[in-house]
Amino acid sequence: MSVIVILLLPLVATALVCLPFKRHWAAGVTVVSCLTILVLAGRAAWLVSTGNSVTAVLKVGMLKWIAVDGLSALILLLIALVGITAAIFSVGYMAHKNLEPRKLVLYYVNYNLFIFSMLAIPVMAEPTLVWIVVELTTLCSALLVSFENTREALEAAWKYVVLSLMGAAMALFGFLVLFAAMQAAGGGIYTWEGLVAAAPLMPPVLLQTAFLMILIGLGTKAGLVPMHTWLPDAHSQAPSPVCALLSGVETTAILYVILRLFPVMKAAPNSHAEVWALVLGLVSVGTAAFLLLQVRDYKRMFAFSTVEHMGIILAAVGLGASAAGYGAMQQIVSHSITKSFCFFAAGAALLAVETREIAAVRGLIRKSPVASAALIFGGLGITGAPPLAVFLSEFSILRAGLNQRHYLATGLLAVFIVIAFFGVMLHINRMVFGAREGEEAPPTNEHSSGEKEQKLPFSCRLTLLLAAVPVLVLGFYIPRPLHDLLTQAAAALTK
Amino acid sequence: MFNRILFNLFQVIVVLAFAPLISGVLSRLKEIVQSKRGPSIFQPYRDLWKLFHKDEIVSEESSWIFRFTPYIVFVTPIFVALLIPVLTNYPLFFAFMGDMLGGGFVLSLGGFFAALAAVDTANSYGPMGASRTRMVGFLAEPVFMIVFFTVSFVAGSTIPYIVQEKWVTPLANFFAPSHVLLVLAFLMLILAEGGRIPVDNPTGHFELAMIDESKSLEYSGRGMALMKWGGHMKLFVLMCIFLNVLVTPWGLASGQTIAAVLLAVPLVLFKIFCFVLVLVVIESSLAKLRLFRITEFLGAAFITSVAAMITQVFLP
Amino acid sequence: MSETTNQLLDNLNALAAGLFLLTAFGIVAMRQIKGCLNLFIIQSLLLAASAALLGLRHQSEHLYGVALVNVITKPLIVPWLLRKTSPAEIYTRREIDQALNIPTSLLMALALAILAYFLAMPLLNAVGPDFRGPNVPIGIAGLLLGAFTLTVRREAVPLLIGLLVMENGAFLTGISISRNLPLLVELAIATDGLIIVFIMGVLTRAVQKHIGTTAVGTLASLKEAAAEPATKEATK
Repeated sequence: MSVIVILLLPLVATALVCLPFKRHWAAGVTVVSCLTILVLAGRAAWLVSTGNSVTAVLKVGMLKWIAVDGLSALILLLIALVGITAAIFSVGYMAHKNLEPRKLVLYYVNYNLFIFSMLAIPVMAEPTLVWIVVELTTLCSALLVSFENTREALEAAWKYVVLSLMGAAMALFGFLVLFAAMQAAGGGIYTWEGLVAAAPLMPPVLLQTAFLMILIGLGTKAGLVPMHTWLPDAHSQAPSPVCALLSGVETTAILYVILRLFPVMKAAPNSHAEVWALVLGLVSVGTAAFLLLQVRDYKRMFAFSTVEHMGIILAAVGLGASAAGYGAMQQIVSHSITKSFCFFAAGAALLAVETREIAAVRGLIRKSPVASAALIFGGLGITGAPPLAVFLSEFSILRAGLNQRHYLATGLLAVFIVIAFFGVMLHINRMVFGAREGEEAPPTNEHSSGEKEQKLPFSCRLTLLLAAVPVLVLGFYIPRPLHDLLTQAAAALTK
Repeated sequence: MFNRILFNLFQVIVVLAFAPLISGVLSRLKEIVQSKRGPSIFQPYRDLWKLFHKDEIVSEESSWIFRFTPYIVFVTPIFVALLIPVLTNYPLFFAFMGDMLGGGFVLSLGGFFAALAAVDTANSYGPMGASRTRMVGFLAEPVFMIVFFTVSFVAGSTIPYIVQEKWVTPLANFFAPSHVLLVLAFLMLILAEGGRIPVDNPTGHFELAMIDESKSLEYSGRGMALMKWGGHMKLFVLMCIFLNVLVTPWGLASGQTIAAVLLAVPLVLFKIFCFVLVLVVIESSLAKLRLFRITEFLGAAFITSVAAMITQVFLP
Repeated sequence: MSETTNQLLDNLNALAAGLFLLTAFGIVAMRQIKGCLNLFIIQSLLLAASAALLGLRHQSEHLYGVALVNVITKPLIVPWLLRKTSPAEIYTRREIDQALNIPTSLLMALALAILAYFLAMPLLNAVGPDFRGPNVPIGIAGLLLGAFTLTVRREAVPLLIGLLVMENGAFLTGISISRNLPLLVELAIATDGLIIVFIMGVLTRAVQKHIGTTAVGTLASLKEAAAEPATKEATK
């Protein structure tokens, strides 16, 4: 039941936000609803981790619509977590922009709808319904990406929508073929579990076609190379809290849908799903690592890092074995929390210097120590420096890869990660510590020509603090419930 | 066997005799649709009679091609009329002399010589029209080929009589996608080869815009009469191929008696009249295409014919 | 159901599929934006006809429902939504430049259609003999041609129509191989299509308002090597 409440809450919040009350009504409603969702999701995750594999089931006729198991609960929790931090960050960020009230209400309406569509992805049990919800995420976030209404933002939104919908149409074809394969295998209820049960009897051609189409189609939306071209644009042009949501959890949620297919492919004889995953993942990591070296815009840099991490997760799943699966789950968690933190840091930096170009930002530490500290922390975090969360997860993936004797793949992965580390830290270093070229006022900023330090809004600083805590903690120690949840998730993956 | 030779000759006479009538009906109907009265439907006969009784003036600069072409343009549709089913649905004496591809080539021969003759007189409008005619012709060739290939693939032969037997035999095949798409493609082809709107304006007098009409610009007297008659016959023959082979291979004589063949004449003329109605609707509702849009028009015809081919050939 | 009726229904279904393919070609090549929209409406009606014919042939009421849903949403609601959300004057225009000229794009579309037939062969062999028919190859061709339209066209509305054609193609395959998909799911997919149109219309309006032209295919300023960020003037 609580799952249904989780789904209904953002819809209620959307409706409430439209009521014309005082200025901070919309923001407050959103924060409260996200907090409640976090509590409920946490409770659901706790229940799942202690062994109840299904916490809520909704059956309508022959359809089993909603079911939550280990993997779903993990993703649900992550979405809720990033949702609340992004909501708190939005309060300060949006207030700083001095928007007219209608536009602010529009932002929060879209925000809540977006959260709703993302929350629905892990809980739906029937693949075609999952497809519908995936489309909904694209549509609900389209207006968020184009929120600033500049030429680049509109171009980014257009590219995002067109490429995502194109991928979704291919995925629809894949899901229909999957349904046909299930019918050919003798029928049954069309849910993720039903698919795993029917997999051995499915005609291999149909199963492989469906897998490929869904991989390519949803891979477009998850940011896998070579379909990733929209991702740097969309994830950099959106407002920063939206970027955190998009990069942090939305791509992860789409990857979750792809990952759901792997137990099905495993149960069918003679499938090469893992090879595909490994190759595609490595290609993504490599391309992203090299592209990171020549970015001109620091939000794009973080967006490329998202592509890289999606590749790492997919490659980890492709390495096979439960240890690699556990590593992949760990990587999902650490990536979500670290990437959202990075975008909060980028948002703070943007508030301080009002430009996205790396070349135009120098000596940020003088202007805004909070933003620069956050950028350094985020940069170190996302590229896998110890003792932060991503280091631990990448280490476990690499170790699992070596155990599996995929020496070449693991070696390549390590090399690409190191290249990305250099790329990101080089840029951030220049931004934070670089000496200013000449003593003129910084390029595009007339407002702060007299001030040396920008004061970030309180909620932004609060978010940065709140979001930094898990990143740091998970680098040392994984709490027992989380460990159980991760194990459950990995088990659901390699079943 | 004697009957077959007789019917073949009778077929040619029917084509010769009724081609100008059909053209007359077509122009009259077009005028009526435009709320005018229009010329009499026998006007083309009167024109031909008048032209045969006029003097012929031939330019000194022209060569034997100019003098020879009217005969070629007159004779090539007659050759094709020997090969196609006009009145009967069983093969006649000359039926195996050439197949549909051969018929297509023979028609192109006439067009080729007409274009050469237009260039021959060194009139400035002649070569302009000739080059345009060739452009339309060469773009229409692939469509011809693909239509014939698809049809032959289904029927197992390229002889028009045999194709006509096998093409629409189970009636359900009438709605087969390849059939409908081929009909569409061939219709576009008739519009192009016959010089009708939207490809060319047959009633236009503006030389700068002429495509097909320019071939008979320099002719007079008997040469002009033969070119005109040949043009009427070419349209008639194309319509016969279209109707009797592709669309409605019914109403043809299946008996071997003279009475059956005579009965087939009004039926065939009725079919052609219905098609003329369709042509009139098309011509009156479209505008002439700009010259370089003709490539798109013929490209669309090509695509349609290839779509017909792939739905027929690749169907499991 | 007698043998001849079955054959007639099969042929009519094949006819609907053949005309579907033709409209997909037309959408690739059509210059007028309104013409594209009309072709899309015809294509959706053909999809509904194919669904109804298949339902008649295999006695499946659920396919009738699919046909009905398609008839209501795509020919009626989609154009209405488009008119409401995207700027009205784009319907009176012709798209002057495309990425390739029309005969070339038609030839490539033809090659893609033949490719679709080859891709469909293994699928048809794997599915039972009861499911044979032109729907699968032509559905895949619709998918490929829709994607091709997306790459070739530059105006906003034909791009959107290309997306919807892709969905139509996926659907055409789906109705012939997955017949028992619950009706509610099909309804949801159709509603989804409507939301797509709505959002794209709103985006187009925003693009028109802030950039001045709906030739969205020419927007290309977000690149790595872009030295000058947004100094291109919008051309009307």
